[in-house]
Order: sequence, then C-alpha cells, then structure tokens
Amino acid sequence: MCEACGCHEHESMYMPKTLTVVKTSPMTERDRFFEFKLDGRDLGHLPGQFAELSIPGIGEAPISVSSSPTKKGSFEMVIRKVGKVTAALHDLNAGDTLGVRGPFGTHFPMDEIKGKDLLFFGAGIGLVPLRSAVNFALDNRPDYGKMFLLCGFTDVSQRLFTDEMESWKNNRSVEFLETVDRGSPQWEGNTGVITTLIPKIKDRLSPKNTKAFIVGPPVMYKFVILELRNLGFRDADIFVSLERRMKCGVGKCGHCQIDGVYVCQDGPVFTLESISHLVEAL
Amino acid sequence: MELLQIAKRDLIDFVESVAAGPVDVFGPVAQDGRFAYGRITSGTDLRLDFDETLYSPKSYLFPPKDPVLWYKPKDASSCEPVYAERDQAVIGIHPGDMAAIAMLDKAFTDGKIDANYCARREKTTLVGIYPTRPGAYRFTSSMIKPEEPYLAADAFLVDLGDSSYALEIVTDRGKEFFSASAAKPAGADIKAQAEKMKTAVKDTVTLPVRRDDLPAFLDGKERHPVWETRGSKCFSCGSCVTVCPTCYCFDMLDELDLSFEYGLRFRTWDACVLEPFAVCAGGHNFRKKAADRIRHRLYRKQKYLLEKLGIAGCVGCGRCKKACTADIAYPPDIDADLMRKEA
Repeated sequence: MCEACGCHEHESMYMPKTLTVVKTSPMTERDRFFEFKLDGRDLGHLPGQFAELSIPGIGEAPISVSSSPTKKGSFEMVIRKVGKVTAALHDLNAGDTLGVRGPFGTHFPMDEIKGKDLLFFGAGIGLVPLRSAVNFALDNRPDYGKMFLLCGFTDVSQRLFTDEMESWKNNRSVEFLETVDRGSPQWEGNTGVITTLIPKIKDRLSPKNTKAFIVGPPVMYKFVILELRNLGFRDADIFVSLERRMKCGVGKCGHCQIDGVYVCQDGPVFTLESISHLVEAL
Repeated sequence: MELLQIAKRDLIDFVESVAAGPVDVFGPVAQDGRFAYGRITSGTDLRLDFDETLYSPKSYLFPPKDPVLWYKPKDASSCEPVYAERDQAVIGIHPGDMAAIAMLDKAFTDGKIDANYCARREKTTLVGIYPTRPGAYRFTSSMIKPEEPYLAADAFLVDLGDSSYALEIVTDRGKEFFSASAAKPAGADIKAQAEKMKTAVKDTVTLPVRRDDLPAFLDGKERHPVWETRGSKCFSCGSCVTVCPTCYCFDMLDELDLSFEYGLRFRTWDACVLEPFAVCAGGHNFRKKAADRIRHRLYRKQKYLLEKLGIAGCVGCGRCKKACTADIAYPPDIDADLMRKEA
C-alpha cells in the first residue's frame, strides 16, 4: 500500500505554514478582527472556506475566512473568544506569528450563479464567513442581479462590522436590512429575529431567479428555510454553511461528520437539496 | 503468492532471533488468563493459538497518543513533522484485524494522505494467522471478504494441525522478512491442507444481513426505537471504541515539555460515543443524546465507511460485546433488533 502511494514523499498534513498578524482590533466584547498575511502569497481561498489557525503549544482551531478572495495580499478573520486556543489568539498583536493550515472545504459557487439575484442571511457570527461572499459579489457587482442583505444580532452589543454595515446601508446597489433580537433605548432600528425582515423585501424577490445564502446559529436555519420554501424557493437554490467541530480539516478525524458526510471536505457550504436527506443536518 | 512451510519450533527460533535485532516485535501473549498484544522478547511468549486479544493491534499503526509535530512554543516557523523511526513487526493478526488494518490504510490515504500514518506503516511488517480456536463472539466471515486481509498482510500463517505452519508470502517485504527463517517451499498437499485449515474454525455468530446489503438495510432506520432503548443504557464510556480494531477518530493535543523549550502536537484517540465529541465552539452539541451517538457508531461501522472505503468499519471480532458494560454495543444484536419493528 504505502510503497504504491509513495507517501513518504508527502509532507505531513499537520504541518502549518507561518502567518503574520498585520492588524487586529476588537469588534465586540468577545469578537476580535484580524488581518493576516502569508509570506509572499495569498491564502488562495474561495468565499465560504475556512482554515485551521494554531499557536504551537496551545492548539489549533477552525476559523472562517471573512474577506473576499478579491482582496489580495492579506486576508481577514473574526475570532470569537470561546476557548483555550481562541483566547490565546486574542492575545496576539500586530507583527506576531501563528500557524495556518488550509484553506479547506467547499465554497459559495459565485462563478456558477452569475446573473442571479442574491439574498443573504447573516446572523451573529455567521456574518463572518458570509461576508466573503457578500464582498465578492460587491466587487463583481455587474455579474449579479439584485442583492438583498439581511443581518441579525442578539443585541446591539453583538453587532459586527458596524462601519461596513453602514457602507452597505448607503450602497444603492444593495438592499440592506438589519435587526436585533432584543432592542435597547439607543437602538432605533428593527427589532425581532431575522425572519421578521423577510416581509419587508418579499415584494421585490423573484424566488425562481434568486440564490439564497444562510449562515448563522444552528437554531436559525429551520425558520429561515421554512419562510423561503413558503416564498417558492427551491432547495437547490438555497445555500447553507454549516458549523461543526472541524478538527483535522481533511476528512479523517470524524468530529465534523453529519451522517456519512464530512463537513470539512464536503462542506461547510452545501445546497439545502444536497443535505435535506441527512438526519443530523439541521 | 508463494507458499512455504515452517516447523513451529523453527518459527519460535526465528521470531526470537528477529526480536534480538533492531526490529521491535509484537504479537499475542498470555496475560492474566486472557490474551493481549505485547512485546515479544522470547519466541515462546508468542501465543499464536489465541482465541481473541483484549485490544486490537491497531495501536501499533495508530498509537493512542502519537506525536506528529515538534515545535518551539508559540513559534509556528519552528514546526517540524515527527515521523516514526523504528522498524517493527506484528506477528499473529487474525484475518478480521488484518482487514481492519487494510481499512485504516485506506482511511489514512483516501483523499489527503496522512504521511505520519504512512511513515509508520512503511516501517511495519504484518504477519497474519488464521484462528485455531473460535472467538466467543466472532462473526468475521459475515463482515469481511476473504481477500481483504491480503490488502494489508505481508505474510499469513496457517496452523496445519501438526507441528508446522503453512506460510503464505504476500509481499516482497514479507519475503524479505522471512528470508532468514528455516521456511521451505511447500508441496501441493500442503496447499490443500492450508486451504482446509483456513476455514476449519467456524464463526460463533452469523450476521442476519449480508455485508454488502447493510447500507441499504440501515437506510430509513435512523429513527428506529432501538437507538433510544440502547442509548438509555449507554454509559458513553468509549470502551467499545477503545477495543475496536477499526475505530480511528482522533483529536489533536498540544503539550509542552517541562523545560518549556519545545513541545509536541499529538494525534490522540477520540470516540464518537463520548458525550463531548461533537461539541462546537460556543457549546452547541450536535450529537447530544447517547441514542444519536450509538446510532452514528453503528452507521459508521456498517454503512458510512463501507460506502466510502469499500471495507466495513466492523470486522466482526466481537471485542465490543465483551467490553461493553451495558451490553448494548454488539452489532449482531443491534441488527437483530433493527429487523424487528419494536426494539
């Protein structure tokens, strides 16, 4: 077996490449923005993919790429502090180095859906991977039809990319709506879960000519999908990015499996049609 | 495939001479009234007449805690891969466990190739033995094809029932390994006797479903009551996975040396039946219920890996039946339950 595959010539799949922090700044109490660069080359990712970041001695964690591949020379991520590795990542400063493996996984097929209207749902930290597709579409705006971008956060303190959301709001080529689940005295915008934004745009949707993108917390998917199906969307036109524990990134360790599907390889981006038969998917 | 014959006494002497050299030799040994794989230093320690070992030989290729990366703390540019360096031989692997290694070979080379696994694999000689006595819960014939063990084995021994073994040489590595032994070419009568002895010991249990029909058999049974019934008794202890010759789920673990000057990243065994296995950042558990976890384990064994790799994730050794405190893990029992409407 091994002689036949000549595997001694392959490099260890656990070997990281070295990344440098270009810039970092806080976004919320627990979310931090990072700009990274590799020595002399791009990460080579496509919208919706992820990479494994590591700090030797601490560990490794899968993180979504947030910038569009149209941005050259560096890439961006937003990291939520939820454990040992992400806490150590939050301590990094500009100029510090870390390890990266990847990019891994499937992507939003932006080339194949040229000419279509785009309807984005980004809830909470789901906006982070979704932003790579949103900005890709904005950077190639003539390739696509109408663009709708709906964002939702649990409350005002959890809003991400606030400056960028402001620019989307002012961009006449995209219809941007935002809501928070729980309002506050200072908040003058929409209040309610993300599905409450759908009635505000539904008259202008053409379900037969629109591709929908859903990225958010696990609880959100069923509700958004139900609304989209009611509007006449076909499952093949709905893209979801699913979160799982992607430990190895190469379809071996088993942590990210949904039934027999490996999210790190066969996902994280799926059409709803391709996963609707999987009992563990949603 | 070349067929040799070797006297049992000569095999003992040969194994002892190999063990005295630079190659680490492992095989089944008697331990506390049962059998287990262990290091062989004396040829007479090797007990090729074992019924079943407590653990499978997978740990020689996929150690429970396997260093894959060396580094200086917080210095990504210092990372270097760690590869196994010692030659080893495992002598005395039943066909089921050998098929399990063939499945591991496929798993670690399917798609992205795991060079750390392959490095150790290339330094390993595998010698099989057909069982000479039944295993208490063995159903290997229901789960593997006769040719599958030969995808991994370098050589296979068959006890001829007298004072010798037939020795099938499968690979060049196997030929080289036994070149210094007293094995001699076997005659046609030995070939016939070997074929007869290969199937002389029958399985204790037969699965109620043909192996290749298992994926279709399991389709649509994801919500069968058997999962709740058995899940309610599951301790989620991971014993079934620990003793399993095919289970290869793993986690990654960084540990620093006490000097704090360097550290290692390990690939460590993990188990899909453990409660935190599918927990994501933020705490959401995608397989929170024991019922879902034991369903996933069986589907991996009898459907997912078979469909992905062409060899089943269960080779019918029956170790999980013995290891499971709650007695809920044995695939033939689960399949029998699945054939009934109510579990």
